[in-house]
Amino acid sequence: MNFGQQLINGLVMGHAFALVAIGWTVLLGVARLVNFGHGQMYMLGAFVTWFAIATLGMPYLVAIPIAIVVGVLVGLLMQRIMLQATFEQNLVSIMIMTLGFGYVLHGAAALFFGSTGQILDTPLSSKEIAFGDLWLTWQDAAIIVVAIVEFIVLKLIIDRTRIGRLVRMVAEDPKLAELAGVNVRNVYLGVFAFEGAAVAFAGAMVGPRTPILTSMGFDEVIMTFVVVVLGGIGSVTGSYLAGIALGLFTAFFGAMVSPAYTTAAAFVVLIAVLVLRPGGLAAGAR
Amino acid sequence: MMTRFRYLLVPVLAALLYFAPAIAGGSGAIYSAFVLMAIFAVMAYGLDLIVSDLGEVSLAHTVFFAVGSYTTALLSTRLGAGGWTTLAASLAAALIFAAVLGLMTLRLREFVFSLVTYAIAVVAATVAQNWSFLGGSDGLRGIPPLDMSFLGISLKAGNDREIWPFAFALLCVVLYLVERFRRSRLGSAAIMSHLNPRLAIMSGVDPQAVRLKVFLFSAPLTAAAGWLYAYQRAYVSADILDSYFLILMLTAVVLIGRRVLLGPLLATMLVLSQEKFLSLGGYADKIVLGSVLVATLAFFPGGLIGLFHRLRSALRTRPSISHEATSLDRTV
Repeated sequence: MNFGQQLINGLVMGHAFALVAIGWTVLLGVARLVNFGHGQMYMLGAFVTWFAIATLGMPYLVAIPIAIVVGVLVGLLMQRIMLQATFEQNLVSIMIMTLGFGYVLHGAAALFFGSTGQILDTPLSSKEIAFGDLWLTWQDAAIIVVAIVEFIVLKLIIDRTRIGRLVRMVAEDPKLAELAGVNVRNVYLGVFAFEGAAVAFAGAMVGPRTPILTSMGFDEVIMTFVVVVLGGIGSVTGSYLAGIALGLFTAFFGAMVSPAYTTAAAFVVLIAVLVLRPGGLAAGAR
Repeated sequence: MMTRFRYLLVPVLAALLYFAPAIAGGSGAIYSAFVLMAIFAVMAYGLDLIVSDLGEVSLAHTVFFAVGSYTTALLSTRLGAGGWTTLAASLAAALIFAAVLGLMTLRLREFVFSLVTYAIAVVAATVAQNWSFLGGSDGLRGIPPLDMSFLGISLKAGNDREIWPFAFALLCVVLYLVERFRRSRLGSAAIMSHLNPRLAIMSGVDPQAVRLKVFLFSAPLTAAAGWLYAYQRAYVSADILDSYFLILMLTAVVLIGRRVLLGPLLATMLVLSQEKFLSLGGYADKIVLGSVLVATLAFFPGGLIGLFHRLRSALRTRPSISHEATSLDRTV
């Protein structure tokens, strides 16, 4: 095992996990919502990007915003349909509905894009940066930069702006926020639109790392869940750190034990954390 | 009067269902559809108890289904075990799995519980695909025909027509067990700790113990479905952990209405009739099934029964209040 290379792989994967998880962090932290369709929305983001590039011949930089717009529309549609259940905080219904949405997205994507695997090629994914015998692609470097920027911007928005304050208010007490004149409905819609945009963006950025299939998305949900819980539910900084920790763990576990069982291993870590520290590693440090 | 009516109705309905495939033409496709309907309904009843009675969403029930199937496949292909042995082993294996999962998730609630059970299902799928002991991605082939012979009576089933009596019997047993559960002390304790946990604790009910017991009761039901499914398909592979089964189970639980005894059975019949006889193709069927699930919860949270009651009360009350309504309209 090449330690330096695994370190790089781990950091890249960690930023990728954090990027995929960011939408759900906000979703869970703000609206106490979960989205089991998250993985399929990631799949959709990757496939829309692929379709825009490979079939419509668009440049990568145009394909990304298209994927984001599709993500926003899917997010808004889902939340619009689930609005009643969201107001009632009917988690049982919401969880099952998001599973149903994920299933519909899978069927629709397979019908539209075909069920064969594809390679999402971007101008960045074929060029390498090498330091001696260590290497990563420009796509990997872009993932790291973009993840850091996205987390800093999100942190600033939540902590420093009026929108951030409104969102935190709704997270704290939706009924009180409603009485104080906050349009809770729009906050919920906005949060789900952000979830759709963020995960579609992650699909466009991280998708090029692996072959993409319309049946993928399950591992992404598990990894996202591990990141969100390890980071402390709803904590933005915590998610970022948890993403990187998980990335390093996955890289070294894959290299030393078995790449087939990385999801299983991440899950075992998660169970251990849930049993030992139900609030997550960053509990209380929000 | 009502109960006497019921005593008459149950055998009549059961007989109708038993002879339904023959009445519907008796072709192989018809028997296959009815066998699958019975198997998937039994599978859904296990989850029904968790969702409808306990009020939690377990997404690991596909694992119990797979445990039943894989246990059956392993024992029948490697050790040549017969139907009774594989059934007993499937139920026992499901109990062990349910005990481990139940204890592991005892303190988890709501979405954390669901996420962990979901993760268990995903991990189980990767294990099934990669572990050569379970046949890896090829699965386990060559499961012999079901043989339930005992005391010298030969009871064998090699095709769907012959499996149907067993599927029907399994369905009847499970319906009876679910009905008994809902009338039992455990059943009412489950409902109480679901709807009013404080009251439950004050009445001396331990919600965690109730949860664990319901989990232990529900897992073997779903595993029994997996047991028969292994014989029906004659092979088992990792696709038994496909999300199709999860979505199907959830739809079966919510479509007709919660805590309606025949609800999951009717819902499974509806879904399978669409898939078997009005199929639009695999992926379009996914869209249909997923949309039905979402639409039910979003627009008819009480299920089709709730919709039916709403319609009926609307029709019934309309004539009597029509002139009052007009006067009310004026005041409003």
